Amino acid sequence: MTPSRLLGVGAFLLGVFVLVPLLIVLTGRWDFYYTLTSVALLSVGAAGVWLTFYIGRINIGQGAYALVGGYVSAILVTQAGFSFWATLPMAGLFSAAVSVAIGLPILRLRGVYFAMVTLVLTEVARLTALALPVTNGAKGITSIPLPGELSIFGLTVIPDFASLGNPKLAFYLMAAVLMVLTYLVLWRIVNSRLGHLCRSLQQNEELSASIGVNTAMLRVLAYAISSFFGGLAGAMFVAISQSIYPSSFVVTDSVNFMLYCFLGGLGYVFGPMLGTLLLYFGWDLLSVAREYQLLIYSGAMIALMLVLPNGVLSLLEKKGGGK
Amino acid sequence: MEQILANGLYLGAQYALIALGLTLIFSLMNVLNFAHGQMYVFGGFVTYTLVAQLGLPFIVGLIASAVVLAVMGALIEKFLFRPVIRRSKRDESTMLLAAGIAFFLDAVILLLFGEKQRGVPKIVGGVFNWDMRLIMPYDRILIGFLAISLIVGFILFMQYSRTGRAMRALAQDRVAAQLMGVDVDRYSMIGFALGAMLAGLVGGLLVTITGINLGMGGPTSVKAFMMIMIGGAGVISGAIAGGFILGMMESIGLTLLAAYGDVTYLVIFASLMVFLAIRPQGLMGKPWG
Amino acid sequence: MSEPILQIRGVTKRYGGLTANKDISFDVRPGEILSVIGPNGAGKSTLFKQIAGFVTPTSGEVLFKGSRISGIAPHKVARLGVVRTFQETTIFRSMTVRENVIVSHHLRSKASLWGFFLGSAQARSDEADFARSADDIIDFLGLQAIRNELASNLPQGHLRALGMAIGLATHPQVILLDEPFAGMNHDETMRMVGLVRRLRDERGVTVLLVEHDMPAVMKISDRIVCINFGEKIAEGSPAEIQANPRVIEAYLGSEDAAIGM
Repeated sequence: MTPSRLLGVGAFLLGVFVLVPLLIVLTGRWDFYYTLTSVALLSVGAAGVWLTFYIGRINIGQGAYALVGGYVSAILVTQAGFSFWATLPMAGLFSAAVSVAIGLPILRLRGVYFAMVTLVLTEVARLTALALPVTNGAKGITSIPLPGELSIFGLTVIPDFASLGNPKLAFYLMAAVLMVLTYLVLWRIVNSRLGHLCRSLQQNEELSASIGVNTAMLRVLAYAISSFFGGLAGAMFVAISQSIYPSSFVVTDSVNFMLYCFLGGLGYVFGPMLGTLLLYFGWDLLSVAREYQLLIYSGAMIALMLVLPNGVLSLLEKKGGGK
Repeated sequence: MEQILANGLYLGAQYALIALGLTLIFSLMNVLNFAHGQMYVFGGFVTYTLVAQLGLPFIVGLIASAVVLAVMGALIEKFLFRPVIRRSKRDESTMLLAAGIAFFLDAVILLLFGEKQRGVPKIVGGVFNWDMRLIMPYDRILIGFLAISLIVGFILFMQYSRTGRAMRALAQDRVAAQLMGVDVDRYSMIGFALGAMLAGLVGGLLVTITGINLGMGGPTSVKAFMMIMIGGAGVISGAIAGGFILGMMESIGLTLLAAYGDVTYLVIFASLMVFLAIRPQGLMGKPWG
Repeated sequence: MSEPILQIRGVTKRYGGLTANKDISFDVRPGEILSVIGPNGAGKSTLFKQIAGFVTPTSGEVLFKGSRISGIAPHKVARLGVVRTFQETTIFRSMTVRENVIVSHHLRSKASLWGFFLGSAQARSDEADFARSADDIIDFLGLQAIRNELASNLPQGHLRALGMAIGLATHPQVILLDEPFAGMNHDETMRMVGLVRRLRDERGVTVLLVEHDMPAVMKISDRIVCINFGEKIAEGSPAEIQANPRVIEAYLGSEDAAIGM
């Protein structure tokens, strides 16, 4: 790692874990914790969507996997008495397993076809949650207990959330840690051989197969990792809101995940994080506009698209290219 | 049985009209119009405003819906899609734009018409009853009939008019059409306007029966996507087939599966997945590669 | 005579009512350059796709060193050592030349995907090997000057060479070249002919190619197979093919009567 990159990462971590809480204490805007926690978790889901873009597939189905992950965690905690911390990886893995079963047939589809199927998938997830007995239909699952204590060999790693004086801060820190880990994994994938193979897939699937890449396997793998992130994000959301309904993640959420990636820029690992921050935080700030909130928000989005059709981070490129 | 078929036919005609507009836009510009459902809702509200609030005849409302949406479609193509398509590096950028427009239209609808469910009074009263085997209100029959005539009109237009032929050439091969002297910009705009107009017309037709509300946009888009997936994206015959198939499945499902609760759409979705795994290009679509 | 490295045994491919290949059989010997010729639409590309595993024959089979490779996935065929290169447009467009060649070494990596992710010692030594080998190939093909160019910015001739570099990176035993001389002028063609020869002589690769450019085919091939309307009509040395009345008829009867030498 070059010193400048190390410095950048250090500054980023300092900002997320020290400056943000400090600013919130100073300004007294405690509500920002909830917003920023959401940003962190949504950007975890968006990271997954971005990875599917990286293999050349437009994924508008992340909401489905977030819903699956959320329900897995909720059901295990309320009905099987699991600790939330144990259900978190299980939610991710279950979502990944589901995505493998679904991905095997549908990943053969390309372009708009794949996009449409994934969009439909979100509706499927919602309707399944409505129909199954274990998910409790439209009433959903409510009063889910807060995450308990996590200890290793008697040593408390994470204290019981119910005993904390400031669970908002705790949730924020937890979400931020998850986000940092997710992007670490994503960055590592993209900058390892795995990422090069994904790029080869994005650019030319046939050629990729002729140089010996098992394209079908790689596609499913990328999609499974993507859905793992989706499941994690979903489970965390459920822990925070302490409830889940079939409508907790709907088509609009899936579309939003995709928008975060687009807006940040598809060519940049940290694009989805920036896109999520801009769109979600922007949306939140716009709540002062009341009934004009959606109008201003979508108007700004359209305007941004007209000015920067290749994402916000493409600004960097122009500077570098000197054109 | 007759009842199920009649309901399916009636639903299918509405659906096919929506799918036609979506597939037209897709085939001409390779744009997946996320805002299609919102355009449908907008069309419904225009008719509602003119008929229920201003007391004008239904046909005036319907024509107004068509005109308003056609103008809206033309403007959206000219000032939004055209510049973005020209400058973006990837086709997918238009999806962000389309989704942005969908949100924007939702916002406009909310401000102009509010979030309440709206409807207009029945345009014709009475119920057609054939020996209790087939029961259908006359207004549904009328609307179904209007929808089918519009579909026929659209096919004739695409087949025989100069504009229709130019658009078909454009859909088949953009570059070749350009070489043949087809004004691509102009026909893209006309195509988008026409697609939006169809969505608006269905909105105007259905407001008389099911009413209209703000939340209907998204689900309508999802249904329209399903129809063109069934039939094959960008193919006119596919859109019509997809519309009628979905209408029929919904009608059959609602009757047969009612005992198991609200699972019709779940079953439809699941069968669609299986179908696409076997035939990814849809019924009438061209296979790739 | 040595054992054939590739055997095509009665390969037939039908698309609906259309027969693209009908009962085609021939052998490819190790270390030879064999060309498949025939008028446009004769079924040459379909044959190639079946050998490389992109299309499954309706009947018949393709054997590589005695074991069947037809009908199995392309990446597995490539792993066995039979690699198809494409016409010039088929490269990884937004990678540099060197990245294109490095990524194409995938077949030879010993580290697992998990190893890539964690950056294991094996993965790192793989990467170093690949970079070295990629530079070798780039030197071999004379592409040093454009090493770090983005592939989408390259002119035609270089793209063709890059396609070949991608093929070479997989260390094939048999390479299938799809129209390597198409769209080239005389000088470029002669340079490419030299290159294909060196591929065989210096790297020991068996070459199977499909081509339209008759003078180049005659110059480069050890043997030629001619197909017309999906059927093999002749097989033999360039001299034998030139003298074969059925071949002459096939070419005179079609539009590209370019058998002139």
